Order: sequence, then structure tokens, then C-alpha cells
Amino acid sequence: MASAAPAVSPEAPAKPAARVLMEALGPRVLGVCDERGDLAITVERGAWVDAVRLLRDRPELDYRMFLDLCGVDYLDREDVPERFFVVLHLYSVSTRHHVRLKTPVPEADPKLPTISTLFLGANWFEREAWDLYGIVFQGHPNLTRLLTHDAFVGHPMRKDYPVGRRHPLKSPREMLLQVPEGSEQMVVNIGPSHPAMHGTFRVQALLEGETIVDAEAEIGYMHRNFEKMAESRDYWQIIPYTDRLNYCSSFMNGHGWALAVEKLLGVPAPPRAEAVRVILSEFSRIMDHIVCISTNVVDLGAISPFFVMFRAREAVYDLLEACCGARLTVSYVRIGGLGADVPDDFAARCRATLAACRESYDAADRLLTRNIIFVKRFKDIGVMSKDDALSWGWAGPCLRGSGVAYDVRKDHPYSGYEQYDFDVPVGTVGDNYDRYLVRMEEMRQSMRIIEQALAKLPAGPVITSDRRVALPPKAEVYSNIESLMNHFKLVFEGIRAPAGEVYGYTEAANGELGYYIVSDGGSVPRRVKVRPPCYNNYQAFPHMIRGGMLADAVATIGGLNVIAGELDR
Amino acid sequence: MGLLDLFKGKFVDPTYPGVHLGGNAITTTLDAVVKWGRKSSIWPMPFGTACCAIEFMAFTASRYDVARFGAEVLRFSPRQADLMFVAGTIVDKEAPVLKTIYDQMPEPKWVISMGVCASSGGFYRAYHVMQGIDEIIPVDVYVPGCPPAPESLITAVMKIQDLIKAGRQQKVPQRATHLGSNGEAVNDRRLRREAWADEARSRAAQGLPPQGVLALPAVAPGKDEEEPRG
Repeated sequence: MASAAPAVSPEAPAKPAARVLMEALGPRVLGVCDERGDLAITVERGAWVDAVRLLRDRPELDYRMFLDLCGVDYLDREDVPERFFVVLHLYSVSTRHHVRLKTPVPEADPKLPTISTLFLGANWFEREAWDLYGIVFQGHPNLTRLLTHDAFVGHPMRKDYPVGRRHPLKSPREMLLQVPEGSEQMVVNIGPSHPAMHGTFRVQALLEGETIVDAEAEIGYMHRNFEKMAESRDYWQIIPYTDRLNYCSSFMNGHGWALAVEKLLGVPAPPRAEAVRVILSEFSRIMDHIVCISTNVVDLGAISPFFVMFRAREAVYDLLEACCGARLTVSYVRIGGLGADVPDDFAARCRATLAACRESYDAADRLLTRNIIFVKRFKDIGVMSKDDALSWGWAGPCLRGSGVAYDVRKDHPYSGYEQYDFDVPVGTVGDNYDRYLVRMEEMRQSMRIIEQALAKLPAGPVITSDRRVALPPKAEVYSNIESLMNHFKLVFEGIRAPAGEVYGYTEAANGELGYYIVSDGGSVPRRVKVRPPCYNNYQAFPHMIRGGMLADAVATIGGLNVIAGELDR
Repeated sequence: MGLLDLFKGKFVDPTYPGVHLGGNAITTTLDAVVKWGRKSSIWPMPFGTACCAIEFMAFTASRYDVARFGAEVLRFSPRQADLMFVAGTIVDKEAPVLKTIYDQMPEPKWVISMGVCASSGGFYRAYHVMQGIDEIIPVDVYVPGCPPAPESLITAVMKIQDLIKAGRQQKVPQRATHLGSNGEAVNDRRLRREAWADEARSRAAQGLPPQGVLALPAVAPGKDEEEPRG
């Protein structure tokens, strides 16, 4: 079976990563497979760390960007050698290639050596895989529960764990840090319910005066597990769940999900649908950056930019409401297109919304960019170097703020982004101010893209005519038997995807939003893993604020744009 | 219209002797004045966790303008608030935090459960999600929607004003005594049936008739219910 233990396909060794690993590791490479453009290499457990090190350190491979690590449970699959697999995704900025590295982990002895020594970002991902699957990462510095609470029993993402079995938590964990014996340091707890934490996450800081000596973060206060829910839902029933990942720009999550499933099915959306998706995605990006910047400065005491910028947000809400009837959680995309065509006055509405966005942007720019208080609070605070940012797995505006010009829209265009002319802004220092400037410039570039897309908005259908994927029009359902059958089968069985696995990725407002889907060939996926961009961003946060002032930590967290729904899923 | 005119007609008890004192003085009950003041200056505390919190922000911002209802003074400290908006999903890890914050609010206090996740768990029938905050804290007004539109929230605030005026307040977590509300059996139908069967057996052993989840009365929380559940 291709998804679990792939045989070596003839064209795959041509890819350098496969060639290097096969030369260096010989028979310890169990399989190489190049499916739908995703290179997947399976190695045996003993070669896991060697393979990761080769991928990272060989100059011709240069897979230095950590993307994602997760477990997969193949319970009841006779054709798969072991029950668990650990799957790692890496990216190389210089060669612009993704790679998926997999290794089987037997149920009787679920152990794997840690790679958190090789990639900073692997730390939390390994904790999560232990928490949810019970895979023990040997040598991990702190293998404790991350998403679920301390009183939890069992590993909930295992297939034999009943979805509804809850465990009561009587008393939460009080202290994440300990004050050293005899010192005058003190611990300050921030969150999970605190206005500076936008959402529900928690930081504890050990203070020496005003200086942060040590910090520790805890998450999981919004862990409702989209991924477990997705394992019992049809591909289209998952769309509303994706809206609630990064709810500040919910349209983009659905867009990414639809593209990932379309990649799995091999069914493209029609050009008009893609153009509308681009327009609404870029409006969502503007909307997301508005929330990020305006709430960030509210934490610093400036309330006017919030009111000014939220006017543009309301304008975008109105546009989305005109298209699909919902303001925030839109569920407008469908697999293979869009739920309905846009209203007749779509172009005029878009131009009016653009005008509102531009007005808000200009006002915020005048209020903030050269404001001396703002600049002094932001410049040279929360600096992140290029190499560390890649190792943590940062993406999006935060990564570009650190000077890495990686933008999925530019490097791996999707939905027709190659037709539009836009720039990718990058920072030079990697501080809060750079991240702010990158976001502001991205808003301007998004407006440019929207204008171009509006100018050549194609006519035609907004959803594919492939009847295995999209419902037939109602008039046909009532008038001919074939459409009625199609409708019936699709509603009762859902979309039936081929067996296999796919990693679909788009540039969401926070960075590379990836969906890793494993399909057994039925109408529900076996495993859906989101690569949540702000999970990586927030993981670095306790390390960034060490040595700084407590007040600067508040300025830094807003600039990372951590969204609880996406962080904890 | 002066303040006294406002009091006239609204709070004056016409059967009380000495009401008509020429327009410069009124008589009423202290209770009515306090309620009037309380309802007109609600201090809400947003307990925002998820998507609903974003819509709550829109509700407080300029277009919907909650200040028109006297409830614009948002307090992030429970000590200074009398109305809590629970906006978003509450998971089991967050439950003790919510309970603590609710207990820290001074009496009298009201709770709005915003959105389906806070009201019933919504479409997250999952192992980590509380199936409605009324398992642990009392709720006065439930607002449906995912997320509710700001208009619904305005209605909810007006309903809270009615409750304040009537002097009514929910004291008991409505579903605290429901079977499975603090444990595992709440979602999984098979587990729930097993739990019912266990309960029926234990009741039979005590010589009591079987009792299903619907027949259980909501009782005031005893000693052990005061701890955070779920």
C-alpha cells in the first residue's frame, strides 16, 4: 500500500534527497515514493536520526526548515507492517523542495530517538505525538502532556480511544517554574485568561526585578481536537471545522483544505472559483493582519488604531456576508470550487471594501509607523535570527521579518498566483518592528493582488462539473435520473478519495498552513494533520523573551499573532 | 427629561401614600432604584477563548456599540464585573480556570453563554471539550449561533437587563447533576447507556425505581459539587 510502506518507484531516486539517503543508508531505507509531487522516504527506526541529520546537513539537500512532525495510527490495516508511523515534513528554502520522512514504530515498543536536538521546533511536536499517540521519544528533555491536561488517561488520537471519553480535571497545574532556593526572584503567571494573551494560552516568567530570567509556556486550553473530529467526517463536512482553526481569517483555512483535497483527488477547481478564492483570501489576509497589529498596539496602550482598523474589518465582513451569508466562519469553499457564485455587484463591492481598507491602512500607517513611542517599544525587541527562525519552523510574516524570503504564493504558486504581480517584503533585523513592517507591506501587496484579480475575473462556473465531487444543480436533479443518482450517491457516501497521502500547503495569514491527509480510500480520511503556523511561532516565544523586560514580552507576543484555535486545534 | 421624571411612572408605587409631592420629590423603594442603576450600568467581563471572542470584539467596537446599553465598561478582572460573557469553547483543561474566575466575581452576578460551544459543546463532541459550561457554572442567557451575530448579543444583554430588573438570577449550574457531566459518559452513547445501567442497578440495590437522565432534578450543589467538575 502506497501510503504506508511504499515500494521504490522508478523515477523517485532521481530526486537528490532520495538518492543521497539511499547511498548513505543503503538497505536501511525501506521505501521511496514520489506521489502527486510529494517525495516520501521511509526509513527504519534505527536510521531515523541519521536520515534527519543527512537531510539537514548535506549542502545539496539543505532541509533546514522544520515544518511538522506527527504520528499516524494504522490500526486494523493488515497491509501495513507496524501500527504506528512517525511522519516528519521538512523544507529546503535554497532548493525549494519539501520532503516527507517516515518511520514505522511498533505498538509493542513505541519508542523513537528524539530529533529535538537537531531542530528546535521538534520539541513540542514530539510532546504532542507522545500526548496523543503514546510514542515515547527517547532523550527528549521534557516529555510531558502538552495539549491534554495532567489528569488525562490514555492517548486520545489512537484509533481505539472513544471520541467522547472525557476525564475530569480537578486542579490545574499551578507552577511551571520553580523559584531557586534562597533567591529573591519571583514567578509571574500570565494567562490562560489574561487580556495580553489573545486567546487562552499561558506563560510563566521568572523575574529578577523587571528582567525575565526564565520563561515557560503552556498550551492546550483550547484543545478541542479538530483532527480527531475529522477522522469521522466526510471531506466536505470538515470544511466548517477548518474555519475555526485561524478564525481571524477563516476563509483561507477552507481554501487550503479544499486545495489539499483537490490535490488528493486530482480534481482542479474552475478558473473563476480560483480567482474568487484568491480575492477573498487576500481580503482575509488583510483582515488577519488588522487584528494582529491593532490588538498588539492595544496591549501597548494605543486604542485609536484599533477603532480605525476595525472599520476595514467590518467592510470585509460585509463583503463575505454578501457572498455566503456568514460574517466570520464562512464555510464558503467547497471541494472543487465554491458553494455559490458571488453576487452580481461583487466587483463594485470589492472596490468599496478596498477603499475602506486603504483608508484604514493609511490612517494606521500615519498613527504608528513613525510614532516615536511605538518605534521605541518595537525596535530591537524580540529579535529572531534567520537560522533559528528556520529551525523553530517559523513561517509567514514572522519568518520574512527575520529575512527569509519564503512565501508559498511565490515559490509554489497555487490558485493562479503566478498570474499576479506582487512583491514579498522581508525584514533585516528580525525584531518586532520588522514583523510589523512586513505585515503592513503585505496588506498593500494584497490590495495589489485583489485589483489585478478583479481586473481579469473570468466568467464561467464556480464549481467543478465532476459529479464524483460536486453536487449537480438542483434543476438537473429534479429533471433527470442520472443527476438524481449522482446527488443521492454523493450525499449518502460522500466524496470517495483514492488511497494515498498528500501534503497540501498554502500561504495563510500566519505562514505555511499545511494539511497532511492520509486516506484509506473511503469517504473519511484516516488521518488529518494540520501544520499550524503559529504553533511553531509560539513555541519559540519563551526563548525569545529570556533576558528581556516583562513589558517587552507583551509587545512581542502580539506580533507573533498566536491564534488559540490554530495553536491547540 | 430629567432624572426624576424617569423615576416617575417607572418605579413609583401608586398605592403608596404621599407620592405626588409636586414633581420635585419622589418616593420609591430602595430596591427598585438599585436595580435600575444596576441594569443601566452593567460591567461585563469577557471570558473569550475562541472565535466568539472575535465577534465579541465586533460587538464592542464602533458599529454595534454596546455603550448604548450602558455595558461598555469591559473589565478583565472578575472582581470588578457583574456580567460574564463566556465566548468560545471551554475545554476540560480550562474548566477549573473558568470556575475560579466565576467564583471570584462578587454577587450579584450574571452569565451569558455565547455561542453553541459554550452552551452545549457545539459540534465538538470530543474527549476534551466540556459539553456546555452549565456543567460547572450557572448560566442566565444562552445565545445560539456559531458565532452569534452581534445583534443576538445585544438581545442577550437586553434579556439580562430584564432579569436584573426582575431580580432573577440563576444560582445553580443547570446540568451539574446530569449523568456524565463530570465524566466520560456524556457523549458516547454506548458508554452513557452503560452508566445508566450501572445507576439503575445501584438504585435497584437500594430499593429505588430506575431513573433516567431526564428525571434527575436539578438540586442545589452540595459540598462536593462546589469543586470544579468536568
